[in-house]
Amino acid sequence: MAEFAATVYQNEFLPDGGTDVNAIVTITCTGAGTAGQSGSGAAGEIIIVDTSGSMGRETMEAAKDAAQAALAEIIDGTRFAVIAGTDGAELAYPPVQDGPALAVMDETSRQEASHAISRFRASGGTAIGSWLDLAGSVFASLPEVTQRHAILLTDGENGEQPARLDAAIQRATGYFQCDCRGAGTAWKVEELRRVAQALLGTVDIIPSPSEMREEFRAIMQTSMARGVADAQLRVWSPQGAQVLFVRQVAPTVEDLSDRRVEVNALTGGYPTGAWGDESRDYHVAVRLPAKAVGQEQLAARVQLALGDDMAAQGLVKATWSNDSELTAKIDQQVAHYTGQAELASMIQEGLAAKAAGDDATATTKLGRAVQLAAETGNAEATTRLKKVVDVDDEKEGTVRLKRTVDKADEMALDTASTKTTRIKK
Amino acid sequence: MTESRVCPSCGAPAPGESNFCEECGAALSADVATPVQPPAPTPEPAGESSPIEELGSGPISSATTNYSSAAPPQSAVHACASCGGVIGPDHYCEQCGVKALSPRDHFREQAAPWVAGVCDKGIRHHRNEDAMAMAASADGGAVGRRAVLVVLDGVSNTDDSQIGSLAGAKAALGVLAAPFPDGLGTPESRLAAVNHVLTSAVKAAQAEVVAAATPDAANPASATFCAAVLEGDVVSYANVGDSRSYWLPDGSAGVQLSVDDSAAQGLMAAGMPRAEAESSPQAHAITKWLGQDSEDHTPMVGQLRITEPGWLLVCSDGLWNYASEPQQLTEQMQAAGTDDPAALALALTDFANGRGGQDNITTVLARIPGPAHVHNAEQTPTTKEQPHG
Repeated sequence: MAEFAATVYQNEFLPDGGTDVNAIVTITCTGAGTAGQSGSGAAGEIIIVDTSGSMGRETMEAAKDAAQAALAEIIDGTRFAVIAGTDGAELAYPPVQDGPALAVMDETSRQEASHAISRFRASGGTAIGSWLDLAGSVFASLPEVTQRHAILLTDGENGEQPARLDAAIQRATGYFQCDCRGAGTAWKVEELRRVAQALLGTVDIIPSPSEMREEFRAIMQTSMARGVADAQLRVWSPQGAQVLFVRQVAPTVEDLSDRRVEVNALTGGYPTGAWGDESRDYHVAVRLPAKAVGQEQLAARVQLALGDDMAAQGLVKATWSNDSELTAKIDQQVAHYTGQAELASMIQEGLAAKAAGDDATATTKLGRAVQLAAETGNAEATTRLKKVVDVDDEKEGTVRLKRTVDKADEMALDTASTKTTRIKK
Repeated sequence: MTESRVCPSCGAPAPGESNFCEECGAALSADVATPVQPPAPTPEPAGESSPIEELGSGPISSATTNYSSAAPPQSAVHACASCGGVIGPDHYCEQCGVKALSPRDHFREQAAPWVAGVCDKGIRHHRNEDAMAMAASADGGAVGRRAVLVVLDGVSNTDDSQIGSLAGAKAALGVLAAPFPDGLGTPESRLAAVNHVLTSAVKAAQAEVVAAATPDAANPASATFCAAVLEGDVVSYANVGDSRSYWLPDGSAGVQLSVDDSAAQGLMAAGMPRAEAESSPQAHAITKWLGQDSEDHTPMVGQLRITEPGWLLVCSDGLWNYASEPQQLTEQMQAAGTDDPAALALALTDFANGRGGQDNITTVLARIPGPAHVHNAEQTPTTKEQPHG
């Protein structure tokens, strides 16, 4: 049985007249078990492979191999399907015309699916929206599957109208989760990130075909270890308060504020998807009406809910004080993740400015990113940044854009921009 | 979960073998668990109830019994004192988020319309080790009026001082509740009899503070003691440690009645100005206290005749830390602008919390509308202070 725990990091002391309370809430899950086997419904996996003409022979073969490796990780008894994507989407496995379109994984179906994958041939275009729509229909064909997850691999830019993709993303949002991978450098980070963020998945670049197999295996292993099908983050704030934002800050930065659904007048729910044995950090900021010095109150109850059951709760407090020693301190975790969130936006905005030819803005933003990465001890970000800029002064954030940059390095910097490091405790 | 005991006082879960609630410090009875009752249907300010009443302290006169019977049972989950919302299992209001103080951390009591007090945890301390007890006749203007005001300040960093202080306050009230004996009828013997009763009250409190700790406790419970009894027009007072009584008349300068048993008082006796003495490093070290390790708890006692309207105040250092001079207290009282002792006690508590709330804050007040006697000059005791054992 999965157990959840919540830990709150904050400085609860506000100065006289202070209104804004910031807290980091770490939610940890242990004993999650295995997907589809924790009594919360069956698990379904769909592997979506781009088979468009742009996939070169080497990439196509690597993608087939990777998809087959992912099949090997799907635990027997799990429902699954394989989709081949071009200008349309084709259900490559199971070979059905109607009825349930998800097979039960066993030795036979695994071999049949592997065989179906081996017949993939690269031809045609890329229509990611239609792939998502087919995946949604496949999941819908078997209502008993309640934990829905897909892997999507593409190597190119979407050929559909942006509105078509947006509509498909919207239809899939809240219905299934999707991890997205881009092969090579001809795909658009921003496009795939939009899909992954909405569908509570990860996005990354697979620069070389040789890395594809391991990447797919790892994604499927992680998904299979998610024994908690779905959980909701809930944030209660007192009457008269305003939730400024709710943001996941580890393992990646994701602003959840816009995904709020009302649980009741004072409580908002935010989707978090499936959970394995892991911990995630959330940054919650609440604005309260200021109270008199000496008053104490609750600023937020941050809960993890499984259905209607509360699995864990952290209390965010506020105490007004005129002791500046108490009120001046910024909690270490809050400071760390505030910096990491800014780091993510500086990298993304800097790269966008660079792509638009605005070198001055790109230099400023990426310089600030270098500074933040150093300040928050994010060594991986520093390494990635140094492949795109020459650093003159890390502390001051003085950098120069490199004249020649490997496209893959730049995309890796972009996809990894939301990854955060934890503070060393 | 091995056990499902809950504290009968505040409703907090009480796991393990502890004899006292970790939340509010109330004693946990050995018998069956008391289920947490659903919230009262009508909002009832949390502060209206007091653990003291549960312990039996209360008004003396029948006319004021309503004050105690109006209090809800201690095990009830109170509505939020701030907005009337439901208090969640996490002890915060589910509507406005205000912290629901446990009945031990903040309680209010009103013995009569003219006598009331507030005992509050303050801000910095994690529990309330102060205690108060009071009783009063119905009419503060009547010739036969009588009020008893008791404050004990449990010493922090000792075990179970919050238990000892509360039980001690109640025991002292028990001794002081009856009218003073007349002695042999002479002023001297009457004074001696009063002093004897005051000393007995200290002894009764001492017995409870001692009983709060096990005989082998490393840091046995200890507490200060301060009581003031108004009988007719005469205030009799006693103290051990640094809790204080003040007489603060409306129209003239106030006086501190009690004399601290403290390092600061020693410095002042040696000629150091009050402000300097009370801010010296060891100022708050008390030289006398109640408890197992008390070597001497002989109270300082005295009497004063009331000749004009004013306030009788008994308080812990959590209040006077922020207004030690009688004049400073009078200023705060005037700023509050009320003649209601309950409202004024709250205002003074807020004042101390507003200044930092470094310690537990207890404020017990009697509003005295003026002398009830206009004759009997030969009975008049002059202000006296004498150690009395």
